[in-house]
Amino acid sequence: MSVTMRIFTASRNGKRMFSTTGARMLAAKKPEAKDIVEVPKGYVYVNNKEISMELDAITDRAATTMFFGELFRGFGVTLAHIFKEPATINYPFEKGPLSPRFRGEHALRRYPSGEERCIACKLCEAICPAQAITIEAEERADGSRRTTRYDIDMTKCIYCGFCQEACPVDAIVEGPNFEFSTETHEELLYNKEKLLCNGDKWESEIASNLQADHLYR
Amino acid sequence: MTKYLGINRLSKLFQIIQEAGGLKQTYLKLYRNDDLKIGTLVGIDKYGNKYFENPYYFYGRNRWIEFPQHVGMDYDGSQIPAEWYGWMHYKTDLPPTRDGCRPKYKWIADHSENLSGTKESYMPYSTTPPKVEAWDPKAKK
Repeated sequence: MSVTMRIFTASRNGKRMFSTTGARMLAAKKPEAKDIVEVPKGYVYVNNKEISMELDAITDRAATTMFFGELFRGFGVTLAHIFKEPATINYPFEKGPLSPRFRGEHALRRYPSGEERCIACKLCEAICPAQAITIEAEERADGSRRTTRYDIDMTKCIYCGFCQEACPVDAIVEGPNFEFSTETHEELLYNKEKLLCNGDKWESEIASNLQADHLYR
Repeated sequence: MTKYLGINRLSKLFQIIQEAGGLKQTYLKLYRNDDLKIGTLVGIDKYGNKYFENPYYFYGRNRWIEFPQHVGMDYDGSQIPAEWYGWMHYKTDLPPTRDGCRPKYKWIADHSENLSGTKESYMPYSTTPPKVEAWDPKAKK
C-alpha cells in the first residue's frame, strides 16, 4: 500500500479516531442527535433526528464547513485513485475473456480436403427467426448438391445461433470474431464467397472452439 | 519499509525504462500503447505481433499484444490472427506455439484485418446469374 493510500485511509478514519480518543481523554460525553418526537418503547425512530445544539457539536459543524472538510476528504479519494491499478482494460492491446461458445461473425467451413461442407439443405434458412439467410442450390458439374447463393444479411441477423445448431454438417458456424464493424451497410450483406473466406481465415479458432465444447454437444 | 514508502514501485519504473531501452523509447512506447508494462514474451506471430504475459496484473490485463512498428498508429484489434485469438481472449492457456491440436490445412487463408473503409473492403455481389435476361434484338441466335 502506497503512502497516499495511507493518507487517504487516515483522513477517512481520522475524525472517528481522533474524536473517540479525544473524548475519552477529556472524559466529555459526545453530544448526540435526538429523536424529534417521543418514541414509544419497542419502536425505532427512522426519520431525521434533531441535531444537537451543544457548543461542541456546533463548533464541530462550523469547523467542518469553514475548513472545507468534506472537500478535502473528496480530494483525498481522487488522489488515492490516481495511484490505484485501473479496473479497465486497455483495448486493443488487452482483450477481455471470451467463451468458446461466443456467437460472432458467420463463416462457412470446409472439410479438411478443402471441399466446402454446405450441402444446401436449407435448414438454416428455414430456422432463421430473422429470415436473414437466402440460399439457392444447383447441381454441380460432378453431380453433388451445392449452393450457388448463400447470402446472410448481417444487419438482419440477431446472432441467436440457430443456424449453426440446425446445420447437419457443421458448415455454417458463428465464429469467434466480433471485430467486423463496417463503415457502410452494404459491406454487411455477406455472400457465399465472403463467408467461405471467413471460414478459411478463422478455421484454426473455429476448430478449437468446437473441440473445447464437444463434450457439451 | 521499501514497500511502505513505494520504493519498489520506483525500482519497477526503472526496470520498465531499462526494458524499453531509454527514456525516449519509453515515451514513444507510452504514446503508442497508452501503458507501460513488463512481461515475458510468449510468442511472435508471422505478422510481427508480439504477445506478452505477466500474471502480476489482474485477469484481463495480464496478457497483451504489441503491434509491429510498421503498422504505426494504425493498429487495430482485428489484426490479431485466428491462431492467437483464443489465447488473447483467455479461452486457452496454450499459446499456438505449444498447441498441437490446431489444424494446419493448406487451404487456411492468411489473416487480414477489418478492411472496412479501405479500397480492399468487401462489396457484395451476386454469386448467381440473373434470373431475368433482357432481350437484345441485335444479338443473333
